Amino acid sequence: MLLEKINTVVTDFNKDLSQVTDLKLLEEIRIKYLSRNGLVATLFEEMKTASKEEKPLLGKSLNEMRNTITSNFNEVKEKLESEDNKQTSKIDLTLPIQNKILGSKHILTQTLDEIKSIFKGLGFSVFEGPELESDYNNFEALNFTPDHPARDMQDTFFVSKDFLLRTHTSPVQVRVMESQQPPVRAIMPGRVYRNEAISSRSYCMFHQVEGLYVDTDVTFAELKGTLISFARQFYGQNLKYRFRPSFFPFTEPSAEMDITCYICNGKGCKICKHSGWLEILGCGMVDPNVFKFVNYDAEKYTGYAFGMGIERTAMLKYGIDDIRVFFDNDIRFLKQF
Amino acid sequence: MKISLNWLKDYIDLSGLSVDEISSKLTMSGLEVEDVYNEYEKYKDFVVGKVTHTEKHPNADKLSLCKVSTGNNEYQVVCGAPNVAEGQKVIFAPVGTLIPKGNFKITKAKIRGVESVGMLCAEDELELGNDHSGILVLDGNLKEGTKITDALNLNDVVFEVAITPNRPDALSHIGVARDLTAIFNKKLLIPEVKLNTIDEDINSAASIEVNDKLNCPRYTAIVVKDVTIKESPDWLKTRLTKIGLRPINNVVDITNYVMHEVGQPLHAFDLDTLAGKKIVVKHYDQETKFTTLDSKERKLEAGSLYICDGEKPVGIAGVMGGENSEITNKTKNILIESAYFNPSSIRKTAKDTGISTDASYRFERGSNPNITRWACERAAELIGSLGEGKILKGVIDVYPDKILPKQIEIRYSRVEKVLGYKISNEKIKTILKNLEFKIVSEDENSLTVEVPTFRPDVEREIDIIEEAARINGYDNIPEVSKITVTLSKKFDASEFADKTRMTSSALGLFEMINNPLQNDKTASLIGSKVPMLNPQSLDMAYLRTSLIPGALNTIAKNINVGEKNVYLFEIGNVFNKKIDGDIKSFNDFTETTKFLIIISGKESLKSWQNVEKDIDIFSLKSIVNSYLYDVGLGDEFADIYNIEENTIFDLYYNKKLKTEVIGEGGRVNKQTLKQFDIDQDVYCFEFNIDLLKMIEKKPKKYQEPLKYPKVLRDFAFVFDKSILYDNIVNFIKQEGSGLLKSVELFDIFESESLGKDTRSLAFSLEYYSEERTLKEDEVEKAFSSLIDKITKKFNAKLRG
Repeated sequence: MLLEKINTVVTDFNKDLSQVTDLKLLEEIRIKYLSRNGLVATLFEEMKTASKEEKPLLGKSLNEMRNTITSNFNEVKEKLESEDNKQTSKIDLTLPIQNKILGSKHILTQTLDEIKSIFKGLGFSVFEGPELESDYNNFEALNFTPDHPARDMQDTFFVSKDFLLRTHTSPVQVRVMESQQPPVRAIMPGRVYRNEAISSRSYCMFHQVEGLYVDTDVTFAELKGTLISFARQFYGQNLKYRFRPSFFPFTEPSAEMDITCYICNGKGCKICKHSGWLEILGCGMVDPNVFKFVNYDAEKYTGYAFGMGIERTAMLKYGIDDIRVFFDNDIRFLKQF
Repeated sequence: MKISLNWLKDYIDLSGLSVDEISSKLTMSGLEVEDVYNEYEKYKDFVVGKVTHTEKHPNADKLSLCKVSTGNNEYQVVCGAPNVAEGQKVIFAPVGTLIPKGNFKITKAKIRGVESVGMLCAEDELELGNDHSGILVLDGNLKEGTKITDALNLNDVVFEVAITPNRPDALSHIGVARDLTAIFNKKLLIPEVKLNTIDEDINSAASIEVNDKLNCPRYTAIVVKDVTIKESPDWLKTRLTKIGLRPINNVVDITNYVMHEVGQPLHAFDLDTLAGKKIVVKHYDQETKFTTLDSKERKLEAGSLYICDGEKPVGIAGVMGGENSEITNKTKNILIESAYFNPSSIRKTAKDTGISTDASYRFERGSNPNITRWACERAAELIGSLGEGKILKGVIDVYPDKILPKQIEIRYSRVEKVLGYKISNEKIKTILKNLEFKIVSEDENSLTVEVPTFRPDVEREIDIIEEAARINGYDNIPEVSKITVTLSKKFDASEFADKTRMTSSALGLFEMINNPLQNDKTASLIGSKVPMLNPQSLDMAYLRTSLIPGALNTIAKNINVGEKNVYLFEIGNVFNKKIDGDIKSFNDFTETTKFLIIISGKESLKSWQNVEKDIDIFSLKSIVNSYLYDVGLGDEFADIYNIEENTIFDLYYNKKLKTEVIGEGGRVNKQTLKQFDIDQDVYCFEFNIDLLKMIEKKPKKYQEPLKYPKVLRDFAFVFDKSILYDNIVNFIKQEGSGLLKSVELFDIFESESLGKDTRSLAFSLEYYSEERTLKEDEVEKAFSSLIDKITKKFNAKLRG
């Protein structure tokens, strides 16, 4: 009796299955036969009332029935699903999308970030100072005497006799040293101003990073090591460089660091003025007079300082030939970086 | 400064050294060679040619067909110059020559069907002058085939050397040669001066009086009589023109020559124009007027140092001579001044008058007080050697307090401590001796030297260390990469601003950097502007008081180029004056770091997926709040809306921490936009970063995800339109029971059918507990009680 039912269910199932054309109909069949209250489950339920002798045979038949049904069902299901996928893949994937708008930091900020992260990795802290500075911090405490010819090198914007827009980030050195005793290891990024006519080569303001390291045994050799390590990380491992003697009132001895022009690989071009070299920074050992101004013991401590311009660095790195584009803030420029 | 290699060779033997070697060593020891002008290289292919035959070009009226001989060969050349003629000696550029002007190579060419081999050159083509009216015709005595480098003396190399302000000693050929002697360890050859004087004593011909000894510590003079003023000989003119000086006459040229030889500026007076045959060095206590030899009347401040004769000023000391005493063609007798002036006095006068001359340039940096006698005798000798004039016996030398060389002790150990490597003691001594430092005493640890008076920059041990380091070469200093561990906590003052920049760009904003120097109108928009004492232009006469005006300019510029959708931010300092008068201290102004968010245009653009949407005030609020959440300040501030009339915004709100405004912004009003020529809405918000960064940020802490289910409920009420959302939502939060954890507005609906001046606000509410699963009925109880309360409180009607 039950055996007959089993056969009927299988036959009916196969018949129903043969008429299924889509996944929706298939789901109906699943509910009819394979769900919790479906026909298959009902038959298993009926088996509970069968006699002990019948049970093994019935059980076997029931299991066979369930396996057949399940396997046939799955076969059709897989077939239908793969057809369905083919339908889906007919969507036109070439349609355009709108990119999510991501903003960006100014290229000067990005350049500075890169410089900062290198020096932070070398153990430097980051300090800042005001742009509207006293004449004392900007010049006097940095060993510029009132009529020092070096002041010719800096055309300064004054707001009063004693206050000015800082011409370099070096006054932050003074502020940092006045606020703590050695060891001091800091970089000091910031905006500086020069009263220079605006052209493709110069602007009335620009950005610098200043560096300072003062301790009991800081040497010129270490200055070279640090700056070369920086330059390699920033400009590339195989870079050639040189340190040239120069002059700054607040360092002695002073130097300028050049690297091989990477526009022409040192062969000489317009950018490097045919010298094959690009000046990237000024540096030197902190002048003992500066230590005097900030009450450091110049016999006990030595230190080095360096400074570099961000605009120049970014112009070289990204092939920008007009400094004014940094401050025009044309969206079409800003979006490039 | 230009330095001629041929001239340099008078003072140092440079044989065996290449131009590159000399120039790179100079650069690497502190005298930076910025440019090398190698005349020989430039002209080595040009030769003197003789035009042996000319005829008209068969196919062109304005061209000539010439035969040019270079001695051994004859060439056919097509020439376009109108002045070409048989017999002329000309500059011939054979095939392969590089022509300086235009930088092109001569090739064999067919010009209008006729072959031309080479070119006859005009002055401008060789960059010898500007003339292009015809070919340059040379001295007929020159032999054809002679190299132009020999024929025209174009065989020098000129270095353009950048001299740093601390090195006045290097502002001359002897000065540069001296550094070279130290670099290459050679001998400096200083010419010995031999004077053939007549018996007449100088004291009978002139007298000197120095009234201002402070500003003129030394004044030396020599007199030469019966001079014929005329053109200088070729050798002298060549030397001067090579270094960019225009020859004037023999006397002036010689004073210039000696200045560029040894660095001592000289001035020649026409002795017969000096009243009382007298020089008086003094200053006036009042402002004076004086006409300099360039025929310009100058106004000089009281205290400026003058060279006077017995009656009147005849020169501005150390800067420029006067028209009234200058050398003219009629001059017979001359007095040559060779003085040492106080650098700061000359610097001040040069600055006041705006005159910078080769003389003032040297004096204000510090000349050598102990070379004045040698220099004027050298000039007299040269004038004499030209066969011009009789040199009177002796010099007048007013030098009451002799300036003695300083003595400095150098510890060898200190050299090593500063440089980080050892230069041998012997090497240090050799370097210093070559630089003419005299060793006074020494022991195994240290050295005491006398610093020559031409080195005013060397005052301390550290300055001597620099001399040793630069001459020995910075290249020889080892590179030590000793990274010592920092023990203290690292500090980064820019951390908060950096985080702000990062968040801003993640929010779709682009960073801009505007010029803080602004014009009157822009800077006057907000706050109290700081004026510049010496602005570059009226456009940059004030410091900005806010980031907003500069940003509006940027938006206007972008709209002008067709970029109408702008999402920008800026972090920068703004300045406000706190007092009326001059800024005398840091208390008289404020400098604050601000952060501006500014947006305008479309928030989303039309596409097949999206509908177009304008940026509105809620776009701004969203960015502002997202920013604050991201930097850990999401719940710190109270928003205050439309509290007052605002001059910049028509929709305005600010954020306050207790009573302090931390940021403010809104929609920029039409009048302001008009001022910047902007015709679309602009929204912005400006924060005070200095205040924001001081607020303690909530440390991030892990919260266990909710383990129990949330129960969700929705309702919608019709409210009178005058009731603000803020009041409703606060009431709901307050009265919603402790189980109500979240209230979100999800719909606003207005319709006549709901009633006039009303709106429907629909909220979805979330109830849950962190400790247990809520029961249906307790949520139901809280929910229905809330509905009752809202109905009562706002006289609102529950919908549906």
